[in-house]
Amino acid sequence: MHSPELLKGTLQTIILKLLADHGKMYGYEITQKVRDLSDESLQLTEGSLYPTLHKLEAQGLLKTKKISLGKRVRKYYFLTSIGQNTAIKKVEDFEAFIKTMFRVLQISPQSI
Amino acid sequence: MMLSDEHVNYIIRDVSYRGIVDEELSEELIDHICVLVEQKMENGLRFIEAYDQTITTFSAEGSLVDIQNQTIAYTNNNTRIMIRNYFKIAIRNLVKHKFYAGINVLGLSVGVACSLLIYLFIKHETSYDKFHGNSDRIYRIIRHGSINGNEFHYPVCPAPMANGLVSELPDVEQAVRFRNRGTFLVKTPNGTESYKEDGLTFTDSTFFDLFSFRVTEGDPKTALNRPLTIAISAEAAEKYFPNVSALGKTLVLDGDEDFEVTAVFENMRKNSHLQFDFLMSLATIEEANNSMWLSNNFFTYIRTAPDVNKTELTEKISEFYGQKADPELQKYMGITGEEFLAAGNSISLELQPLEEIYLTSDFIFDIGPTGSEETVYLFAIIAIFILSLACINFMNLSTARSANRAKEVGVRKALGSVRAHLIRQFLLESIILSLFAFGIGLILVVLTLPLFNQLADRELLVPLDSIYFIFLLFTAAVITGIIAGTYPAFFLSSFKPTNTYKGTSTQSVGNANVRSGLVIFQFFVSILLIIGTVAVNRQLDFIQNKKIGFQKEQVLLIDDAYMLSDSRNTFKKEVNELSSVLSTTYSGFLPINGYYRNDNTYWKKGLNPDETNTVNSQMWTVDHDYVKTMGMNILEGRDFDRAIVSDSNAVILNEEAMKQFGFENIEERYIQTHAFNANDGSIISGEYVVYKVIGVIEDFHFESMKENIAPLALRIGRSTGIMSVRLSTNDFSGSIDQIEEKWQKFGTGLPFNYSFLDDQFERMYREESRLARVFGIFAGLSIIIGCLGLFALATFMAEQRTKEIGIRKVLGASVSGIVFMLSKEFSKLVIIAFLIAAPVAWWGIANWLENYNYRVEIGVELFLLGGIMAFVIALLTVSYQSIKAAARNPVKSLRSE
Repeated sequence: MHSPELLKGTLQTIILKLLADHGKMYGYEITQKVRDLSDESLQLTEGSLYPTLHKLEAQGLLKTKKISLGKRVRKYYFLTSIGQNTAIKKVEDFEAFIKTMFRVLQISPQSI
Repeated sequence: MMLSDEHVNYIIRDVSYRGIVDEELSEELIDHICVLVEQKMENGLRFIEAYDQTITTFSAEGSLVDIQNQTIAYTNNNTRIMIRNYFKIAIRNLVKHKFYAGINVLGLSVGVACSLLIYLFIKHETSYDKFHGNSDRIYRIIRHGSINGNEFHYPVCPAPMANGLVSELPDVEQAVRFRNRGTFLVKTPNGTESYKEDGLTFTDSTFFDLFSFRVTEGDPKTALNRPLTIAISAEAAEKYFPNVSALGKTLVLDGDEDFEVTAVFENMRKNSHLQFDFLMSLATIEEANNSMWLSNNFFTYIRTAPDVNKTELTEKISEFYGQKADPELQKYMGITGEEFLAAGNSISLELQPLEEIYLTSDFIFDIGPTGSEETVYLFAIIAIFILSLACINFMNLSTARSANRAKEVGVRKALGSVRAHLIRQFLLESIILSLFAFGIGLILVVLTLPLFNQLADRELLVPLDSIYFIFLLFTAAVITGIIAGTYPAFFLSSFKPTNTYKGTSTQSVGNANVRSGLVIFQFFVSILLIIGTVAVNRQLDFIQNKKIGFQKEQVLLIDDAYMLSDSRNTFKKEVNELSSVLSTTYSGFLPINGYYRNDNTYWKKGLNPDETNTVNSQMWTVDHDYVKTMGMNILEGRDFDRAIVSDSNAVILNEEAMKQFGFENIEERYIQTHAFNANDGSIISGEYVVYKVIGVIEDFHFESMKENIAPLALRIGRSTGIMSVRLSTNDFSGSIDQIEEKWQKFGTGLPFNYSFLDDQFERMYREESRLARVFGIFAGLSIIIGCLGLFALATFMAEQRTKEIGIRKVLGASVSGIVFMLSKEFSKLVIIAFLIAAPVAWWGIANWLENYNYRVEIGVELFLLGGIMAFVIALLTVSYQSIKAAARNPVKSLRSE
């Protein structure tokens, strides 16, 4: 498991990228997807996931759609057109950031 | 597997029990939890175990509420919530206190409407002539001076001035002249009907070069080069040549002159002091070419070269004029320029900037309508007064209401509000009210503008399509809100919570003092405006009822009588025979400003004329019935007599002329003057015209009462511009019908234009009447606004003292005693306001009356009247509430303690 501290700065990027790749997703689905993709080494907590989702929605990057499941309501998130652009940009930014970090920390990517 | 409804309900309840109130979030969390629980149950756990496990591990960092808090913190903009809250509270407050809020908004919106109207007016008045290219380099040459003690101010110059300046002074780039010849009857060659037009002038071909009026058809450079050419406005073109091009067509002026239309120009803008529909080439008239430097008939405008200093140029032009005029002075008056000046005479030329012409001109006659700088200033002051009155109402009411809100402030402070929050809250409230009031004010302006336009004789528009204007209005509303709200905001927010609970801060002495000061100011303004209005009306009344030396009632003026040409005398005879007609007279010279004038220099026969013994006198050409028809009084001697042939060389002088010539009586008195060349107006040297004085006529006013009565002489001659008819009845429409019938008999197709002498007389004081009316309306409004505030204040005070009044009554106070007690305070304030306002009003009125040579005496009673009126109005306003409060049953007011 990675430290949640490291995760913090990249949470938005992860959510946006996931939604860009998979269309609409709901909260639990996102946590599961992250777990699967990271071979269980990344665990999104609900405590950071939901506030971030709501923040992105308030910023106009996400929209929601509710589907009723009997007594329960499932809320799907998907990207707005601004959100799509932001997703691409965030990933690019992050890629550039990692490359910089490699140089700064003098890590060779091949060694991973 | 899916959870049963029962299980889901359990989870929903539990989540809500754990304090999740945000609906959006709780739905998601419930779904998430359900999925986790389902998984655990699939692994064999019972529901309750699965749920317990899920909920404990759900958020590694803390409870569900933490997630909610975090979400709210992330998503919601704190300031937005806060501002929404401010709005909510503000609106609740206003709705709760409908009466005060209503009065506040009403007062403020009336104030805003007034100020806005005045703003539009001022904006229009100050926008004149700014649209011309190079308008900063265009000047009009005007002359001031005094000859033999007679002061004169004229906006006209000698004919050769314009061309002389352009050819001899390199600083002057271009010049244009205007010569007005009054009204003309205009028709097309084939048309049967003529129209009387007054927007005509003769002008140089340089007109379109100097002024930026766009020519839509024809060549602006050459349009007015030739004699008998005319440029007309789009409106005139449409009127005379509908649907066809006017270019090359002919217009007939006064029945005998054919002008060729060589250009059509866009209608002159409303905010131009030049307002013409017809421009005739100056080359048409002989007079344009004369080279007389002592005769002044031409409005002259010049454009200077770039970067020319105005003061230096003025000196150069004066010098230039002196050089040119000197030889003529020597030739005709026998003195050099130096001697002329040494005798105490003076003539000075001045350059009047184009943009200032409209507002700063105050000549006896002018090229077009002019405004008045004083009116603009006066209106600006009134606007500021009214707006400040409305703002003061607002402040007064808000602070007065502080008692009711003191507890609110206390509670808010106790709950952790800091002062800045409270100030923001109160400011916002006042800004909301102000925006609201501005909205209503704007609607009021749109509704009342037509009325105002009629009153002020303007064509103003509300520029609703201008974003700039809307933005300005919005800004003004916010600023007004801030100004009006600042005092209450800072005052209310300064309360100490403990004091507000005890109720001590509401009785603050300083607060009451400020409020009294504001009430005094309001009444100061109201009293000032009342006294001003009454004084202006008195002066107008005085002017209109003063003995003016002739009888202005029941005189009909028929225009353009000269068009009847030879049938003129028969027409006169037949009109005379009508039973409703007393007498008729032909003369274009009327004792009303704006009609024909002709002045010249005369001296006692036998004297050698020099600058000390000549008199500059009016010489009016009239017929034998003039004195009778006008109702003037012969003091000495006799009227003109048809039977006496020598009367063709006789004059009747007015008293002033007698005095200036130094005549004691009319025995064997003669005056004489130079003979003039009839063609070009030049003096024939060595030849004189002599007139015998046969009578003296009582002085009569023939200009506005701002002017002194000048020397005047009447002589017999042909002046056929106007026929005046004295009627014997008040049945005007019947008489007019009869006369028109006669007119049509002799002048078929000619328009019958008439007016009444007394209407024309009043027209001289139109600006004053307008001022008086507008002044009166605004004064009334300011009083209403002031009273509105006072009324609300009195209501509030009475409310505050309900218990006190109850106790006083129980202890034996009478209703009248209580009313007196409540009214006393306000009365004191009104009296103080009066004491301050009276001297200021006296000073202002005295200054204004300085303009008039004949003015009404302003006595103490005028001031007392103003003071008493304000006092009575204030008392009525206050007493309604006082009596209501005093008459209330004390049982009711004391029961609810």
